[in-house]
Amino acid sequence: MRIAVATLALLSAFALPAQAADQVEKAPPTGAYKKVSELVKLPDFLPGLGQLYVDPTTLPAGPFLAYDRDGRLVSTVYMLPIDDLTNKDKRFDDLAAPGGKVDHVDVYFNAGHPGVEKPHVHVVLWHVPKADETRVAAK
Amino acid sequence: MTIDRRDILRIGGGFLAGLASPRHLLAAEAVEIRMQGKADGSHVWFDPIGLRIQPGQTIRWINLDRGNSHTATAYHSKNLERPLRIPAGAEPWNSDYLLPNETFSVTLTVEGVYDFFCIPHEHAGMVGRIIVGQPGRSSAADLSTQAAGGETIPEIALRAFPSVEEIMRRGVVRPA
Repeated sequence: MRIAVATLALLSAFALPAQAADQVEKAPPTGAYKKVSELVKLPDFLPGLGQLYVDPTTLPAGPFLAYDRDGRLVSTVYMLPIDDLTNKDKRFDDLAAPGGKVDHVDVYFNAGHPGVEKPHVHVVLWHVPKADETRVAAK
Repeated sequence: MTIDRRDILRIGGGFLAGLASPRHLLAAEAVEIRMQGKADGSHVWFDPIGLRIQPGQTIRWINLDRGNSHTATAYHSKNLERPLRIPAGAEPWNSDYLLPNETFSVTLTVEGVYDFFCIPHEHAGMVGRIIVGQPGRSSAADLSTQAAGGETIPEIALRAFPSVEEIMRRGVVRPA
């Protein structure tokens, strides 16, 4: 009986997708995510986005996980270079989406910043209602 | 040219810049170039984008963009193999990334035209031009085209430089 329970537990663990094992609700997320401001020289808290974490192997697209000042996940952000979006041979497939339920989406141009130096598009999957975007607003 | 280290605004970047080159302190006042950007990062710029100063005058860049980092980097082969767009014999500079409210200063002594850019935003056209004294032999035609050697300058950056004539006429050229 004891062996059967252990076997079931082991099988359950392997049945879970690897990304589901990462805790992303609160900062810092587990897994391969690193704080962006420690990877490149950027402000630790970006007005309008929040505090960002990313798995460096997924750059430039991400996902970037964005947290408010209390360390609560507010959005998942993808950064897609304009050059790539206008290249018929370039695709962004199967980007991870570990943040859960999406309330609404913003898409807008960004001129660039350390880490993603060329002009690109921010695709922001908000996990909070529109009214709660103020949680990452400038003080 | 004298280059000082980066300093935080609150401890007096301009004052420290002056200390770094005391012989020029009385020659002329430091002139500020602001690094700015829209809150969502969709647009970034230097203000002013064109400036005429006297030899020995100090330029101080300050990052007033709360959501981004910027550099003030001279076009020179020592800086990411960019083509030479400062006077021969002048020392190149590179501020490295400045976080919000950080500053960087240089004192320019060699007369001529100096073009500079922001490393993460050159592809967004964030460039500027300083003329020290007289522009010298560099013609407007030379400066509006790709220079030989080095990395190619993005067209958006090349188009963003104000003309030498406009800077000489107005002294200060603000972004459009």
